[in-house]
Amino acid sequence: MNCQECHEYIDAYIDNELDVAAAIVVKQHLRDCAKCQQLLESRKVVVALLKNPEISFEVPDALFGKIQSVLPAVRSDVKRRWGGRFFMPWFAVPLALAATIAVMLGLVFLNPGGMFDRSRGNALAQDVISSHVRSLLATHLLDVPSTDQHTVKPWFDGKIKFSPPIRDFADQGFRLIGGRLDYINGREVAALVYQRRLHIINLFIWPLESSRNTAAESFAKDGYNVLHWDRDGFEFWAVSDVSAEDLKAFAGLEMQQS
Amino acid sequence: MNDEQSRTRFKTLLLPLMSDAYNLARWLMKNQEDAEDTVQESYLRAFRFFGSFHEGTNCRAWFLRVVRNTCYTALGSRDVKDKQVSLDSEADEIEDSAPLPPVSLAKKATVEAVREAVAALPVDFREVVVLRELQGLSYKEISDVSGVPLGTVMSRLARARHLLYLILSDRKQREEL
Repeated sequence: MNCQECHEYIDAYIDNELDVAAAIVVKQHLRDCAKCQQLLESRKVVVALLKNPEISFEVPDALFGKIQSVLPAVRSDVKRRWGGRFFMPWFAVPLALAATIAVMLGLVFLNPGGMFDRSRGNALAQDVISSHVRSLLATHLLDVPSTDQHTVKPWFDGKIKFSPPIRDFADQGFRLIGGRLDYINGREVAALVYQRRLHIINLFIWPLESSRNTAAESFAKDGYNVLHWDRDGFEFWAVSDVSAEDLKAFAGLEMQQS
Repeated sequence: MNDEQSRTRFKTLLLPLMSDAYNLARWLMKNQEDAEDTVQESYLRAFRFFGSFHEGTNCRAWFLRVVRNTCYTALGSRDVKDKQVSLDSEADEIEDSAPLPPVSLAKKATVEAVREAVAALPVDFREVVVLRELQGLSYKEISDVSGVPLGTVMSRLARARHLLYLILSDRKQREEL
């Protein structure tokens, strides 16, 4: 073995990645060659320095929670444990049913006027979040991948009965990456997909019966921020895991010029 | 396997790999924020493609490959420049002729110095160093994760270690002057 060959194999030699025969040949060469020995020493120094566990980074505390929240379906251990190991006594089932019915009746009869209005927003926000998460999980984020609003807009023609306002805010850090059809609250809606750094924003749009304009209303749940506003005869729902400020900035852009 | 079982399986197999995933992403992306984003994205991708993971194969290598590819995608859109910084092709020849600085110089390098030296490596080399030295993967696993042949893993690792040695001893020498 010459020095050139030794250099080629010296790392695999240190890492025990050579077969026995090759390792013996390298070892013999190293014994006779001072220059290659020096190389071996230099390699060992680097390997030893990198062995120090302090070189690695600690996982930020918040990351675990964030990942749990982007994988909503994975947080199912509580349910599973109950389903598997928890036995209801025989009388519990009718009791639970009776309690449920009582609560439902109570809601129907005692519901104060405004409650359904507020809960409509919450229910829709939940719907919108589920849609957002589904779009990220199901490899079905985009039906029409395009950063060009003039491609995305015509795509919706003929697929839905309205023409959603579509604009790109790439210059402001919200890049339009495409659109798709989605289904929310029992109707077909347009979903525009924007990218903020590595985060995805889904903007759901559908027409309003009236032409009211309302200021943005915000919801936060499971680590997602949701903003809702009405403008020019359309209802807008934006949802993402970007910060509330970012989402507001995005909504601000959308609400500006038409 | 039903959905519920597959989700539980995903969680049991992949959540414990978060530290490996984060470290690879942290080294490739070079900052905490982008690393967190890419790890998050990697979990989503892995969840989506979990069907293509075969039981009994190396889960860690499979997931690190997802993380690695997610990082490269992100790097591609962030700054292609960083990815393209590559060594002069003569680096190998220099190795043969130039005398190495004495071992004592590099030996005293601090954690900070080592971190900076690793961060200074071109991304292809950094990747191999992190997978081998910090995460202890075998050459075969590294080859699976980065999708390059074994021989390339070997030569990248050799050049990366050589560079680290030069950077560290050079720094020490400058500090002592």
